[in-house]
Amino acid sequence: MRLLLAEDDPALSDQIRQALVQEGRVVDVVKDGEEAAFLGSTEPYDMIILDLGLPKRDGLSILREWRAQKNGVPVLILTARDGWSQRVDGLDAGADDYITKPFHMAELLARVRALLRRRMGQQSPLFEAGTFSFDTRMGRATVEGIAVDLTAQEAAVLTYLVNNSGRLVSRTELSEHIYAYDADRDSNTIAVFIARLRKKLGAQVIQTIRGRGYKIDPA
Amino acid sequence: MRSLRSRAILWGLGLSALSILVGAVVLVTSVDDIALRRFDTDMAALHLQLTAAVTNGAVDADIIATELSDPLYERPYSGRYWQVTTSDGTIITSRSLFDTVLAVPAASRELQYSDAVGPDGAVRLAWRQITPDGEAPMVVAVANSMAQLYAEQWDIRQSLLSGFAIVGLLGLIIAIFQTSAILRPLSTLQKDINRRWDGNEGLDPADYPEEVSPLVSDINILLDRNRDLLERTRRHSADLAHALKTPSAILRNELSRFETAGQTIEIAEEALGRIDAQITRSLTRVRAANLGSPAQLGANLHQSLQRLDRAFTTLFANSEKILDLRVPPELRVSMDVQDVEEVLGNLLENALKFCRNMVVVSAHQTADATVIRIEDDGPGISAADRIEALRPGGRLDTATRGTGLGLAIASDVMTAYGGTLSLGQSSSLGGLLVVCNMPVRHGL
Repeated sequence: MRLLLAEDDPALSDQIRQALVQEGRVVDVVKDGEEAAFLGSTEPYDMIILDLGLPKRDGLSILREWRAQKNGVPVLILTARDGWSQRVDGLDAGADDYITKPFHMAELLARVRALLRRRMGQQSPLFEAGTFSFDTRMGRATVEGIAVDLTAQEAAVLTYLVNNSGRLVSRTELSEHIYAYDADRDSNTIAVFIARLRKKLGAQVIQTIRGRGYKIDPA
Repeated sequence: MRSLRSRAILWGLGLSALSILVGAVVLVTSVDDIALRRFDTDMAALHLQLTAAVTNGAVDADIIATELSDPLYERPYSGRYWQVTTSDGTIITSRSLFDTVLAVPAASRELQYSDAVGPDGAVRLAWRQITPDGEAPMVVAVANSMAQLYAEQWDIRQSLLSGFAIVGLLGLIIAIFQTSAILRPLSTLQKDINRRWDGNEGLDPADYPEEVSPLVSDINILLDRNRDLLERTRRHSADLAHALKTPSAILRNELSRFETAGQTIEIAEEALGRIDAQITRSLTRVRAANLGSPAQLGANLHQSLQRLDRAFTTLFANSEKILDLRVPPELRVSMDVQDVEEVLGNLLENALKFCRNMVVVSAHQTADATVIRIEDDGPGISAADRIEALRPGGRLDTATRGTGLGLAIASDVMTAYGGTLSLGQSSSLGGLLVVCNMPVRHGL
């Protein structure tokens, strides 16, 4: 899952980015409002974490612009503006959640997971298909109850497929959601990750629809 | 006296009464004088008749009575008398004087008038010394009872006083209308200020009378300064919040990393929590203290609650808890919108977090306050803990009700506006009851 983090404080954005990467997310970080507005409008993010007090452009105006463009990407506002009027303004502008600084990283991560699940229409954080199960909270996969070791990129591919279970996902879409903005996006490597996952999880978990993409069906 | 209207009406009334009084005294004196002169003219005619009677005939009572042929001279103490004093001191009188005589002052060749005492009370006396041809001088006097003059004067005074009473009443009505007309620009100014307090628009001095326009210009300056102050306070609070809370978030995350690495962080985390709570509470208090006292602001309670309801619907997306708003749509509260939402947001978040199924918000207006009640069906707060929950620096935050800071913040904001926040137990739902009492500032 690919996220955009718009936060101007480098130390804080680094902490959040690291925590999200550890959960198997791919994170693009921007430090000002103009960059955030551009990337949020042009890149297919699964979610955006948006600070309101950004340099160059205020976060609230960016959010309103996205919503006016019919951009429905889930947006979590992360801000020091903790007044209730400001929270209501943020949510009225189209935010899906609102966290005020200072915050507990665990809470932020939980809210991110919940929003991603809500976006994918999943109620439970635990995905199961036959003997395979995947905990979206921990990014941990098991087969017949035995934990499976996954690399960060394997976890990213699996997370995206699980969050879009029941739906065909093309290689291009997959590469757009597991690579960062500045990464070298080679969709051919996707086939390599899928092959590795098949080996670790069993051949039936991920279906290949030749020439079109991949799909995971829930049990 | 603080009311301009009462002052103007009372002054107008006082001055009108004084001028009516002076006018009445002058007019009554003048009218009395006219009545007396007319009375004296009648007396002169009577005196002339008597003089003619005395000159034409002998100085004899019967002859004079026949000449005068006025029955009032014949009836004793009738109020009309005549008296002739001859040069040898003989006094001849009308029968009406019966057995008395009039005290006529010293003789004069000109007709004289004076007040005297007759047999039936005060009389007006007209007398003169005459010298008929070939005879010795004699003093001829007539007298007429003053009762008739007094009655006439009293009738005129009554008519005058009735007239003055009507004029006074009209003056009072005019004073009231005039005061209203003069003070209308001030009432308009007050309403205009209330409407513009929260906007950026100034008042146009040309819309007001020239005596009020300098005041309007000064008010514009004050309104600008107030807006500027509010804006700077808000911006300063926001900047300070950002400057303090971002490093605090970084520190908290670093502590989490230490914890993951096996370090003990409870004491540091608890201290950081206290700092965060104090920052949040202090910034809210600073802002509320700057807004609460001078401004005459108003917020629609129902609109603010609806905004918060939308926010909670998003924030508690998976919750089935019910927020029941029973607030009249037109009800206003004398607070800045942001502060109303700060109070209600904190209280509703608390209530929704701890209720089992339902939170009810109701509000009503009394003569001098807006009363808001927030009730839930949660566990409530024990009587002993209620004081602690609202105490500055209270530590209920680490006990049972989440951060709990919300109650203290709401209480701080209410206090800054001169209102009160009290906690109790809901009789209908069984959980916590929070009552906010905000005094009404008239002119909203």
